[in-house]
Amino acid sequence: MAAATERFLHLARPLAHTNIGLQTNIAPLSVQIQPQAVLSILDHAVRRDVRENSQSTRVIGALVGTRSEDGTEVEVRSCFAIPHTEEEDQVEVDVEYQKNMLALVLKASPRESLLGWYTTSHELNSFSALIQNFFAAPDTGTFPHPAIHLTISTEPGKDIETRCYISAPVAVNAERAAESCLFIQVPHKMLYGDAEKSALEAVASARDLESRSAPLVSDIESLGRSIEQTIGLLDRVSEWVNGVLDEDEEPNNALAQYLLSALSLAPKVDASQIEHDFNNHIQDVLMVSYLANTIRTQVDLSQRLATANLVSNEKEEGKGDGEKGGQRGNKRGGRGGGRSGGQQREPREPREPTE
Amino acid sequence: MSEAPKDAPFQAVQVDALVILKIARHCSSTFPTVATGSLVGMDQNGTLEITNTFAFPTVDNSASDNTHQNDATNAAAAAPRAKANITYQGEMIRHLKEVNVDANNVGWYTSATMGNFVNLAFIENQFHYQKDNEKTIALVYDTSRSSQGTLALKAYRLTNLFMTVYKEGKFTTESLQKSKLSFRDILQEYPLNVYNSHLLTSFLHQLPSPAVAAEAKEPTLSELNNDRIKAPLYPSIDNLDLSVDPFLEKTCDLLLESIESHYVDLNNFQFYQRQLAREQTKITQWQAKRKAENAQRTLAKQAPLPEDEWQRLFKLPQEPSRLEGMLNAKQVEQYSKQVDGFTANISAKMFAVRENLLPQ
Repeated sequence: MAAATERFLHLARPLAHTNIGLQTNIAPLSVQIQPQAVLSILDHAVRRDVRENSQSTRVIGALVGTRSEDGTEVEVRSCFAIPHTEEEDQVEVDVEYQKNMLALVLKASPRESLLGWYTTSHELNSFSALIQNFFAAPDTGTFPHPAIHLTISTEPGKDIETRCYISAPVAVNAERAAESCLFIQVPHKMLYGDAEKSALEAVASARDLESRSAPLVSDIESLGRSIEQTIGLLDRVSEWVNGVLDEDEEPNNALAQYLLSALSLAPKVDASQIEHDFNNHIQDVLMVSYLANTIRTQVDLSQRLATANLVSNEKEEGKGDGEKGGQRGNKRGGRGGGRSGGQQREPREPREPTE
Repeated sequence: MSEAPKDAPFQAVQVDALVILKIARHCSSTFPTVATGSLVGMDQNGTLEITNTFAFPTVDNSASDNTHQNDATNAAAAAPRAKANITYQGEMIRHLKEVNVDANNVGWYTSATMGNFVNLAFIENQFHYQKDNEKTIALVYDTSRSSQGTLALKAYRLTNLFMTVYKEGKFTTESLQKSKLSFRDILQEYPLNVYNSHLLTSFLHQLPSPAVAAEAKEPTLSELNNDRIKAPLYPSIDNLDLSVDPFLEKTCDLLLESIESHYVDLNNFQFYQRQLAREQTKITQWQAKRKAENAQRTLAKQAPLPEDEWQRLFKLPQEPSRLEGMLNAKQVEQYSKQVDGFTANISAKMFAVRENLLPQ
């Protein structure tokens, strides 16, 4: 993640005006963002209105996700777009839309709640404050929890940066309180679990292609690619080691130690033990594969016999008899496992020498 | 990769990266319960573009805590057809339209475990979508297989032949003989492509990527140990994982399940056969009796009794639907294909390991 901030200075979190006597938490807050939320925001940024007014180049939307019990960790799981218009001196957010959409989203994932909002430019202006106050308000927003404000830069040709803020009210004077607030940056990181990893891999496979699209490949193809990749990496390392041995490259103690400890992870096992384990496992695999294919053939045969017109000469006698013949054949197909194996053998031949 | 048939309304399916991630997230968060959701997008030049998706509300079973877990699964699997969800889908699409998302429903998605998605609920859902709009697709995300390294996302559609037969709702032996429908013709797989926007492409380039060749800095050992080099997303090395047994175990379980349902199906049919035979003997007996009676009546110069009264007196049992059996066969085929793929994969890996540990 580009903006993963590991060293972060937590400023004291400003207290919200706790005139109601609510205990607000001032512990440091960190935000975790799941990749699909970012993708969703980027998708929204691509789909923004460009027709009418080029006034507003940014889009806004709401962040939805979960909070840890003590409120110090926030996980952004998804988000939805909110239509809004921005002009010289006024900003309009479709509040009704936000309310309805939130209800719809929460219906599908009841454990999540509104966290804050996002926008697609880094600029923080009085409109930002206005919207932020709306999202942090007790009746429409996240109060007593702070509302998260996530900004993602979407300028073409530049790196995509994300920043994350919470806010505190600042009182310039009573009239302007609604449109001013203090934004405080908080650390955030992007997290992806094992579940998304394979999805991200598939998405990333189209990264370097001109067409920006790639087919989803089968297991064996991706295995081939992974092996090639690993071989490439190994080659690079051994090239470097050879370079050091030939005194072409500058040796590096740390790297070598690292390599050595990595190499020492290779298990030392008895040759016969490996042979034994290997044979056991490969037999298991082939056995299951063989059985699965046999079962498939059996079921296939049974299906065919069930609908096959086996007794065409008795057909005149009526439908009932014809079916009976079919069923008898069916039964035979289901039980006579040994004989139908011949048909089965064929596709498996290439694998047989390995047994 | 399978080819789409010529008569299909579209030739390929293109999925936005956002959709893939959203589906993956939703399905794995509800695992092992089935997760379903709706797909929106549009159809353009023979390609079905899926550009966004949203989840269907989870079934609320807090009211009936003591219900069987199976019920919850069934309810979740039937979610796309539920009335409340049709309204939900309409509402959601209307809202998405306001923020310029393609506002056409193009199908639905479901999660599966080891390819066990071929069942009646799946067929009914897809039929529900496809009968109104033939340009709809069902995406199947295999949660357990995706966690092993490679994304297992497939696109399926019911074939036109199956649609016609299913519309009639008759799956008797006779009708199947006539329509020549076999279990192979139920589902058609479509090739899937993943598509990224420009913005996303630039974002992806910021994620961990293969290290650049010119690395100037001299790291220290502690640095190397602490700042692990982040593995690139693509090509990932996760699928070099060598776990054999869980997959085999699960597959065997599923296969046994299939065999069981095959036998249930078979037994049902045999029961029907016996019933039918019994009824038919009765009818023949009755007919013989009636014939003899009539013969006597003609001798006695009386008007013969009608001979087709048996149709009223006896009721032939209904033939059980063949659909379950067909789906089961399709399911078994799916399993065995999956096992074949796995065998190819794992044997390659195992030979590699052996060569590595036992150099010749």
